[in-house]
Amino acid sequence: MTDRPALGRRELIRSAVAVGGAVGLAACLDAIGEDAPKGAPPAGVADPSRLPERQHAWDDRIRHDDAGNAELPRHQSLWYLELQEPPDADARVSLETALETLDRALERSHDGLLYSLAYSPEYFDRYFAEPLPEGLDLPPARRLSAFETPEIDRQDALLHLATDRPTLLLEVEAALRGELDRLNGVTVETALTDVFDLETRRTGFVGAGMPAAEASEVQGVAAGTTIPDASPLFMGFKAGFARNQATESYVTLDRGPFAGGTTKHVSNIRQRLDDWYGEQSYEERVMEMFSPGHAEAGLLEGAGDGLGDDSKIDRFVDDIEADASEYGRVGHAQKAARANRDADGNVLLLRRHFESSDEGQASLHFPSLQRGISQFEAVRQAMNGQDLTQVSPAVRQRVNNGILEYIFTKHRGNFLVVPRSLRALPTPTGGPS
Amino acid sequence: MNTTAALYGGMRRRRYLTTAAAVGAGLLAGCTDLVETRQLRSAPAVLAERPAAVYYPTHVDGMAMVGATDAGPYRVALMYSYPHRFWTVTGAESQQTEISAEDDVHLMAVVWDRETETLLPESGLSVAIERDGTPISEEVIYPMLSQPMGFHYGANFGLDGEGSYSVSVRVGGVSTRRTGAYRGRFESPATGTIPFEYSATARDELPYTETMDRAGERAARRPMGMGMLPSSALPAPAALPGVNHGTTTIGDARLLIQSLSPPPAGLAGGPSYLAISARTPYNAFVLPAMALEGRLTRAGEPVYVGDLSRTLDPALDYHYGAVVPSVEPGDRLEIGVRVPSQVARHEGYETAFLSTETATVTLA
Repeated sequence: MTDRPALGRRELIRSAVAVGGAVGLAACLDAIGEDAPKGAPPAGVADPSRLPERQHAWDDRIRHDDAGNAELPRHQSLWYLELQEPPDADARVSLETALETLDRALERSHDGLLYSLAYSPEYFDRYFAEPLPEGLDLPPARRLSAFETPEIDRQDALLHLATDRPTLLLEVEAALRGELDRLNGVTVETALTDVFDLETRRTGFVGAGMPAAEASEVQGVAAGTTIPDASPLFMGFKAGFARNQATESYVTLDRGPFAGGTTKHVSNIRQRLDDWYGEQSYEERVMEMFSPGHAEAGLLEGAGDGLGDDSKIDRFVDDIEADASEYGRVGHAQKAARANRDADGNVLLLRRHFESSDEGQASLHFPSLQRGISQFEAVRQAMNGQDLTQVSPAVRQRVNNGILEYIFTKHRGNFLVVPRSLRALPTPTGGPS
Repeated sequence: MNTTAALYGGMRRRRYLTTAAAVGAGLLAGCTDLVETRQLRSAPAVLAERPAAVYYPTHVDGMAMVGATDAGPYRVALMYSYPHRFWTVTGAESQQTEISAEDDVHLMAVVWDRETETLLPESGLSVAIERDGTPISEEVIYPMLSQPMGFHYGANFGLDGEGSYSVSVRVGGVSTRRTGAYRGRFESPATGTIPFEYSATARDELPYTETMDRAGERAARRPMGMGMLPSSALPAPAALPGVNHGTTTIGDARLLIQSLSPPPAGLAGGPSYLAISARTPYNAFVLPAMALEGRLTRAGEPVYVGDLSRTLDPALDYHYGAVVPSVEPGDRLEIGVRVPSQVARHEGYETAFLSTETATVTLA
């Protein structure tokens, strides 16, 4: 390994992933050293048609912490794709072949590769005369607060790649571009980029230690700001506790041509970390991320290990107006939870967020899976807390109102994660074109 | 601290600058470096003895107009000054925000409705600064009051050296109750972008005046005239619609009591309306973002008990109001401050308007 004292190994690997392509791959191989996952990645399946229909079935294929909380693969990328030609039979075969290469080459797991290919409502609208099924809740993405002005992602498709192996992520990407002959011993026959143009590539990471290591790489983190080493995310806390997440089954469409699929909203949110850490004490961050009651009861230590598999947020949801009056602050999780339960108390959204330092900015990629996009929209509107600004003037549109002061939504896009058997350029009816 | 700074250590930066400018351009360059190195002139310390009221500040920083632009239904103007210390308020607590070593400027934005030329004191604003398309900073900025400037939105920002920046001011949709012609307006966000040519030298030529001779007096500086901006002073009682029933004071805030009939368009019930127009003494600047409660009684019997809601109305301007059966001279009105004005404050305002007392008035 080359001696480069200015950057730590982790940062080197991460910047290699962010750069991508052949340059990134070379840099990554150079940086990865000896303590990357050992040996070749586990192989995939001989018959991809026997893989589960749910492309989003990741939970039994990833690591979990001691409390049973999901730990997503450490390295991820999002490929926003535009079709080169309207979909046809040749393109479908070519695309399916490219994807089956991944299925054969790599185990569907954090140690191999997890991925899903999803399609935007704009794709269905652009290329097909027939409408999507009645009852499929998949509107185009839109602005979801009175203060954000996100760019809407209207590309045809979104490929989400995730693995614990940074070099492998780059190799997979090279295979999808047709730049590799073989992937983990399997011949690469077609390139995904024969069918799609890669319009935008975004990358990211998640896991204890990674945000702390990455902090020096991003703008918006003041010198002296210390992101706790144990934190899997930039803002210093764990998120997505098992009991506060929807199950994969719950978010899966159970009828219609896309049964087995799910809807996916992905936002990209810039974070202003120097103010988050610089303007506030740990207690204040706990109040704003969880609830004033969490701080008062001392429920958290560090990044939130003491919480086990439950953020305990449901206990504090009913306090929210009283908290606005008493503390002049309300919590992010507390607000969102108000709209994130069904009548039986089941959680509606399965959040799979990860961090990014693309373009030197600290940001969050926020994919959320749910049966319908309107569920996501309702949770986001609850998180806006506009009602609470009327309870106390101390809670303002974006100040003392959860974490809204520190986050800036830059992109939003809606997608349909189709069942695996329909993943190659589906029609709106799920049938052959 | 470098040698020059040590030599001039006791001298106020502004005087040093003036001296240097007189000596020549060569020295001025060094002086700019000096300022950059020292980061900031040393403004006088916050007074040890301050009244719990509006007071005359220790110094006044000049400011300069950066530019103005249209953004949706709004007009947005951007000004800048030296980085400032200011106080934020949460609940009844104020907390001083110190100038940080990275701060280069205090940016100030004023937003008004183009149609009525009226300031909007309760929007959420954020500012994004870019240089050649590269993001430099993005931040939610706070509503603030200063004696020379009145009501504005502001924050200190660090920049990436001298040069050309673009500053985008994003105005959030308003959720405050709106009446009359304001109904249905100001709901969507709008963004205006203003170019900013930043030079530390130009910044350091902004006036800076110490006012230690009057500092701490119960008085206020007169506002600077910024010709193109609407004033943040609220209308005089005679210019407000309806009947004035007097004025009371809580925590040095002046609360004008008005009633009118019928209530502003869009509010059901009544047939009368009780409005409190809250403003600073001396300059009548708007005091937004309080939680006020009212108890109106007549011969011991309650006429109205409840919230006085934050409301934007074209005629009454920003006020706190409630629909009531009637308001008559001789009625007793108790006005309670449940939450004092959450507006951030520059020096001279930070100890005022924090009281949560109740005032009782017999209406004129």
